[in-house]
Amino acid sequence: MAVSTETPALAANRPAPAPHRRRYRWSEVVAGYAFLAPALVLFAVLGVYTIVYGFSLSFASWNGFSPHWTWVGVQNYVDLLWADPARAPRVHQAALHTLAVMVAVPLLTVLISFPLALLLNSIRRFKTVLRSIYFLPYVTAGIAVYFAWQYILEPGGAINTLLRTVGLGSLQQPQGFLGNPSTALPTMIVVTVWSAVPVSMLLYLAGLQSMDGNLIEAAQIDGAGWWRISRSILWPLLRPITAVIVLLNVRDSLQGFQTFLIMTNGGPGDHTNVLGLEAYRLAFLARLGPTLGLASALGWLLFLAALLLAAVNLRVMRRVT
Amino acid sequence: MKRALAARIGVGLVLAVYAAVSLYPFAWMISAAFKDQFEVVAGGHLIPHHPTLSTLAQTWTDLHFFDYFLNSLEVTGFTAVLVVLVYAASGYAFAVLDFPGSRVFYRMFLALLFVPGVTVLLPVVLLENKLGLLGGHWGLILPFVNGSAPLSILLLTNGFRAIPLELREAARVDGAGELRIFSTIYLPLARPILITIALLTAIPTWNEYLLTRVSLNDPGTFTLPIALQNLQSGAVLHYNTLMAGAFIVVIPVIVLFVAAQRYFVNALVGAVKA
Repeated sequence: MAVSTETPALAANRPAPAPHRRRYRWSEVVAGYAFLAPALVLFAVLGVYTIVYGFSLSFASWNGFSPHWTWVGVQNYVDLLWADPARAPRVHQAALHTLAVMVAVPLLTVLISFPLALLLNSIRRFKTVLRSIYFLPYVTAGIAVYFAWQYILEPGGAINTLLRTVGLGSLQQPQGFLGNPSTALPTMIVVTVWSAVPVSMLLYLAGLQSMDGNLIEAAQIDGAGWWRISRSILWPLLRPITAVIVLLNVRDSLQGFQTFLIMTNGGPGDHTNVLGLEAYRLAFLARLGPTLGLASALGWLLFLAALLLAAVNLRVMRRVT
Repeated sequence: MKRALAARIGVGLVLAVYAAVSLYPFAWMISAAFKDQFEVVAGGHLIPHHPTLSTLAQTWTDLHFFDYFLNSLEVTGFTAVLVVLVYAASGYAFAVLDFPGSRVFYRMFLALLFVPGVTVLLPVVLLENKLGLLGGHWGLILPFVNGSAPLSILLLTNGFRAIPLELREAARVDGAGELRIFSTIYLPLARPILITIALLTAIPTWNEYLLTRVSLNDPGTFTLPIALQNLQSGAVLHYNTLMAGAFIVVIPVIVLFVAAQRYFVNALVGAVKA
């Protein structure tokens, strides 16, 4: 059947059943809840309960072992944002690093994946093979690949050797790229972009392939060159895809910290500490300190920031498209 | 014509360079995995002068990577199967069944997409500790399943909506119940989407590190990412062993990806369009 081979989103043109259309059929109501039950039970326990629990914890002070929480109101939030002279500066510094990642990663990802998709779309041979190769960083994203990066970024690693061989020896980092405080964060941004390019490139490619060929042909007949077509036709038409890519990468940069935890653990000297990592440390690496409430509060601040960004992004998207 | 040729060469060059960039860390990972300890310390060359399988073999057996591999397989397998079963049922309920609250529940599941992982990580761990699930594999599988809810429900509900309602009505006339209609009509027709969901779940689960790291304590339960982490934090760091371990982690995913690439590409495109 043709139905089953369609991509899900394209095929979903039928509206959802309207709830007030008529009276419910009993058997269907029972079946509906029965089919939904496993998902709802899981969600109630691991979703609703944990969210409510975590939210309450953000207003308390607790070390994870003592039998009772001490309620502190919004003190955790206040401490994190400005009041606590030991915590607030760390949070500010981590926020700056996070901001740098949030700006640089989406920007560089778009700058690399858009031209890459255009070029890949223009060739006939090797297209599928190249697409698979470009996609590898996405499917393998995880500790194994980040260890491989760590290995080649070492003082005696492949990147330094490569720089020496091509005559750019002055760019070598004798402490390793992650060991030098001034190159650590930029290096982490490069690694993050490397993992983010595959999905973005694929989305642009899908956008290009669904495009009307006549438009481009007409432009070519009018004498428009490759650069002109890319800039004045393709880039504006693909703007919604760019918006999605930016949104995804901004969100991931804001919340993601796994790469940082694995590769630098915030170091050297907190130069690559980001907000997610700070929350993770407060939650799991503070030993007996009463930091669990703080960790929760920082998590909810991140949630709030994500919501705000999504709202802003939606507005910008509406204005642009 | 000359210009066209130059342009084509230029395009090919750029594409080749980025392919090299994509493959670069993998190339060195494989290179180190086939070197012995002395050669990896000497560094410098990509192609091993004395390629050896002993590093891989040693990691696989002496360092128990085979056991960790089985653990990873168990966690990933159960998670993927459960995700497909649980959310196919939900998707069916949302797509074709008419019951009060269906829209509210649907939105509630999708809203889960916005809650950062780090925010719920701590409460999940505390809850599992209370329930006695912490440290075992089910303590990983259940949160992983719940975490895949938004995307799976989105894709499956849309997929099931695309199946003509007439098929269901015809089966009802013939006296089939919902469970029968679901399993004999809807599931088979939605097979490509089910495979897609299984893949989209399996790959991140295979690589999962954050919850696993704070959950598992007993080496007998370790999955591959945690085993790898343990290798690195050991007393002496041998990059050939570490890269051999990394190679073992990465290879199954690459094989799976190459075998089922079509589903992947469709899935990502479908997910974002939705």
